[in-house]
This record gives sequence, C-alpha cells and structure tokens, in this order.
Amino acid sequence: KWKGEGTTQNLESIVIGRCYDYIRIVNPAVGEKNCSQIWEAFKNAFINKDPCSILPKDYELFINLTLHTIPPNKSLFWENNQLLVNSFADRGRRYMSLGDTLFGFVADFLYWCGQADSPGLDYESCPTTVECENNTVDSFWRMASITYAQHSSGVIHVLLNGSADGGAYPQPGFFADYEIPNLQKDKISQIVIWVVDDIEGPDIDSCGVNTVKTLETRLKTLGYDVTCTDNNKSVMFLLCL
Amino acid sequence: MPLQQGSARVRQRTVLLVGIAVLLGALVLAVVLASLLTHGRHEASPEMLKWKDRGTTKNLQEVILGRCYNYITAQHPELGDKDCLKIWESLKDAFIYKNPCNITPEDYQPLMELASHPIPCNKSLFWSKTGDLAHRYTKSNQNFLTLEDTLLGYMADKVSWCGDPSAPGINYESCPKRSECESNPGSVFWKTASKMFAEAACGVVQVMLNGSVEAGAFRSSSIFGSIEVFNLDPDKVSEVHIWLMQDIGGPQSESCSGHSIQRLINILEERNFKIICEDNYRPVQLLQCVHNPDHTDCRLCTNSS
Repeated sequence: KWKGEGTTQNLESIVIGRCYDYIRIVNPAVGEKNCSQIWEAFKNAFINKDPCSILPKDYELFINLTLHTIPPNKSLFWENNQLLVNSFADRGRRYMSLGDTLFGFVADFLYWCGQADSPGLDYESCPTTVECENNTVDSFWRMASITYAQHSSGVIHVLLNGSADGGAYPQPGFFADYEIPNLQKDKISQIVIWVVDDIEGPDIDSCGVNTVKTLETRLKTLGYDVTCTDNNKSVMFLLCL
Repeated sequence: MPLQQGSARVRQRTVLLVGIAVLLGALVLAVVLASLLTHGRHEASPEMLKWKDRGTTKNLQEVILGRCYNYITAQHPELGDKDCLKIWESLKDAFIYKNPCNITPEDYQPLMELASHPIPCNKSLFWSKTGDLAHRYTKSNQNFLTLEDTLLGYMADKVSWCGDPSAPGINYESCPKRSECESNPGSVFWKTASKMFAEAACGVVQVMLNGSVEAGAFRSSSIFGSIEVFNLDPDKVSEVHIWLMQDIGGPQSESCSGHSIQRLINILEERNFKIICEDNYRPVQLLQCVHNPDHTDCRLCTNSS
C-alpha cells in the first residue's frame, strides 16, 4: 500500500523500554518520568488517523512529557553523518545530540504509522516523504528538531558532511528548515561549524565554499557569531589508516 | 421474699455488666492485634538483607524487554526468532527469591541458552580496562563485536539486579559487592557470559588492553585474564591480536615488550595460539585523536603520515 517500511515490531515495548533505560541509566539527571503516559501520548499523536495527515503539533503532549534541559554548550546539530555524530557525542557525555535527548532517544531508527478508522498500527508499510509530507515519522522529527533548537544554548556545534552529494548544507533539510529558524538568538553565544569528509570520500564542500558558504552567510545575516573549521586534523587522522 | 428477689436482680445486673466489659475488652484486643499484624505487613520488607552496592535497577523488566526487542528488531533482524518474554523470565528466575550470595552459573543456563547467538569469525573483540574506548570503536566500526554488542551483554550492560528470600523477591535497595560475596548475581552473570563469549570466538580474535595502567596491562585477576583467555578454543581460534593502547597524553606504563604482556603471550603460546601485539593500534588511536586533535601525541601521528 505505502512505499516505506512498516511499523517496527514490538514498538510499544521498545519505546517504553528505551524511556526507562534513559531515565534510569543513560541520563538519570532528567528525573522521574511516567513512561507509560509518554507511550500513550506518543501513540495518540497518530493512532486512528490517516498517516498522511499528521502534523508536528500532534506530538505536543509527547514533547511536553519528555522535555528536559539541554546543558548549555552541548548541542550538536548535524546532517548526513549519523555514525560520526554518535562517535563525537559519546552517548551524551561529550555532546547531547537530538538522539541523546529523551524525546529523540525513544524514537531513533524506528518506524511507525497508524491508519484512519482503525486503532491498530500498520505493520505492513508506512508512507514516505515522497508520498506525503505530513507523515507520522517526518512530523515527529520536525517537532523534535524544533524543540531541540528552541532549548539549545551557549556554543552551538554543527557537524556537516563535506562528502555529501548535493553539498554539506542540504536545502531543504531539517537543520535549514526546522532548526535554524527555532534557535533562540539571545541564548546563543556562538555557532561553530565543522565540515568533515567521509573516510576516503570526496571533498565536495568546505568552509567558505558552496553550500557551506550559503549557511555561513545566512547565520551571519541573522546576527550570529559564526566560525567554521574543515576539521582537517580529524580528517587526516581518519585518513592515516 | 423481697430481699432475696432484690439481691438476685443485682447479681443479674453484675453478670451483665461483667459480660459487656469482657466483650469490650476482647474487641479492643482484637483491634490492637489486627493493627499490629497489618502494620507489620505494610512495612517495607524489614527482613531483606542489606548490602553495600546499588540495588536492582528500577523498572528492570521494562528495560530488559525493551533492550531485547530493540536488539532483535531494530538492530539484528536475523535474530527475529528470539522470544524476549521468555528471555526476561529466564533472567528473573535466575535470581528472584534467592539469597544473592548463592548464585551459580547453572542458575543462568536457561538464559544463556535462550539468548546466545553465533558470532561471526574474526570479529570478537575482548577488552580489559579499556571498556569505553572498545565500545566507542565497535560503534564506529561494526566489524568488531565486544560482549556488550551481543544480545546478552547488550541487555545487561550497566544494569544491576539481585534477589532476596523475602517478598517481593527482588532487592531494589542494595545488592552485594564482590567484596561481600563473590557468588553474587552480577559477578556470576558476567563470568558465565564471558566464558560463553570466549568459547564462541573463532578465527582471528582481538583484545584491547590498557598500556597506561600502573598495575599492568594484563592482569590474571581480570575477567579476561582469568576466564576469557582460558576458554578460547584452539580448534576454532587461529590467532590473537593484542592492541595495546595508551591514553593520549597518559602514562606509558607498558608496551608490547612489557612484563605482563610477555606473561600473556606465554600463556597463549602454550595453548598454541599465534600472537601479534601492536602498540597503539592505529585505527583505535585515530579514534582517540579525533577527540584530542591538538595533543602532541596526535601531531606525531599526522607528521609521520
């Protein structure tokens, strides 16, 4: 029916389990949360609805229940380099990427959707972005990205992939469309951009060039203090192989 | 006769009054006893044993189940036939209502059998005093697997549990430290799982050791030194590669030519394994350097390339 992957099996157990994993082990500093309530809020955002009619604000209750402080200077935004981000972020110890917050952690790498006039989850297939914009998963990440940007402060880091097809700063993209517009200018002291190439990948984009230049200009125009590094050292170390 | 009738009535009234008094007394006694007994039952398990380490992780069942499903669904769909509920039950049965100083490897056998899965050859990565670095490496290079990257280790990592003979059978307040008793649920679990992990290894195996530790990179008292080394199967494992990592900017306490490494090499050679030892194995060191790019140790790497 749809072209995308169906709902992940055992979704409820995984989401609730991850919720408790997060508050008990990964980041107990966020305090006590009601993980069953959080699952209900998550589910109610899309159950019994046409999976092409889901909006970011449908996840508002879920976000309210999972929200917690993001420590200043720890936000790490990224595009097209999830493995590298995980390595840099070190499970929230060095940086706290969206996937290291409670709201990002419970949903990372999962798929889900419901159907109109039925209380069940659709395990067969779910709509892709191409099939419809307002699908369950994209709307979730839009809401999560908006929230993440709104609660970021201090020095902000952005990790971009200099080997990505179409440029390191994708437009349209989550960072361009949902995160930059929701940064709180008065809470941010500096934006640090890192452009890192894939191991043995082409050097398509760099600081001051192409899409990265577009990004730098946009942020400077918005009034931010911006620096950009091609993180050559990291690249060279990885190339040392 | 009027006097006799009067005294009989008095006696009747007295009996009645005494009877009422006795009844009241019995009632009061019953109420007091009842409140004492129920009060005792509501008190938070005063009979549970008290230990020095942190207690069972709260919401243990949800965490274990969630991790199990996460592992077999989202990460390793080839293990889709695993029954996570059964796996949880077998873990719980291993320790619930038992004295946490009396746990045996046999207690974990059902769990081990349900949760074990084959490990591809040449991928096993053992580690000792390098947990953080080893796990960061396997996360960025999925060609290697530590015990904590297998289903069993993944479920149990950073989680604690122990039982108690009194209800509800699980102790969330405290659990025994190794110094209090060795046969505690956590220690026995990791020893048993490590033994199985070593037995399952085949082809070339890797071990990441810490060359910045004062007490020596290889210790006979560690799980690697006491269990894993001796459970590698010479019929399945051909070579052991030692990666001796020193902290960036840390002390260079030991290298491949060091005493404890020589001891390890002797033990392994005696069991007919071929050994290769490498100081600061490059790919792992690069991972260290990514986080310390400005350190002189890392500049040396850049210059030498």
